[in-house]
Amino acid sequence: MDPDAVAKAFVEHYYTTFDSNRGGLANLYQDGSMLTFEGQKIQGAQSIVAKLTSLPFQQCQHSITTVDCQPSGAGGMLVFVSGTLQLAGEQHALKFSQMFHLMPTQQGSFYVLNDIFRLNYT
Amino acid sequence: MDPDAVAKAFVEHYYATFDSNRPGLANLYQDGSMLTFEGQKIQGAQSIVAKLTSLPFQQCQHNITTVDCQPSGAGGMLVFVSGTLQLSGEQHALKFSQMFHLMPTQQGSFYVLNDIFRLNYA
Repeated sequence: MDPDAVAKAFVEHYYTTFDSNRGGLANLYQDGSMLTFEGQKIQGAQSIVAKLTSLPFQQCQHSITTVDCQPSGAGGMLVFVSGTLQLAGEQHALKFSQMFHLMPTQQGSFYVLNDIFRLNYT
Repeated sequence: MDPDAVAKAFVEHYYATFDSNRPGLANLYQDGSMLTFEGQKIQGAQSIVAKLTSLPFQQCQHNITTVDCQPSGAGGMLVFVSGTLQLSGEQHALKFSQMFHLMPTQQGSFYVLNDIFRLNYA
C-alpha cells in the first residue's frame, strides 16, 4: 500500500479518535511509547492516555493542514503533521505541529512509538 | 552524554552551518538520507544539498524556539524543532517546524537520515 496513503489514513484515524473518544487512543500506544507534549515527557500507553484524557478541555476538533511521511529505516514510518485545534467555547483555533514514529504491529496495523506535540504560537 | 544536550548541540550546529556555509551541510547527510521540503521529496546527500543551496535567498538566519528529542528505537534520535527564519531584506521572519531523525556515524557523531521541513503560515 502506498506509504503516503497509509500515513494519511493513520493520521485521520488518530485525530478522529482523539476528538470523539480520547480513551480509545490507548490502542494506539504501547508500553515503550513516548510522548512529549509541550515539552513534558511521558512514557507508556497508560500514562500517555492519562495525560491526554486530562487535558483541560472537554471537546476539541483537529483540522489537518499538511501530512508528510518518510520511512524511518527501522521498519517504521515518520509522519509530520501540521494543523489547527479548535477547543469548544474558544473563539480562535490553536495551530499545532506533531510528529509520530509509527511501528508495525503483528496484526498488520501501526502503533505510535514516538509522539511529539507542539503548539505553534503566532 | 545527555540526549537532550546532544540534540541541542546538533541543532545549533545544523543551523549555524545552514546560515553561514550551506554547502557544508553535505557532511550531515548520506546517500540514504531523505528530505521533504515543503512537500517536495528529495533523496541523497547530493540532491538534498543541491536543493538547499538553490533556495531563492542568499542570506538567512534561523532562530530556534523549541527543541524536543526522543530515542527512535533504532539507535537513532528524533529531534523536533520550531523556530523562525529571517531572510535578508524581508521585513517579517517566517515561522517553521522541522523534524530530524539522526543516526550515529562510525566516528561517534550523527548524520541526518530523515528531514522534514514545513513553514508555519500565520
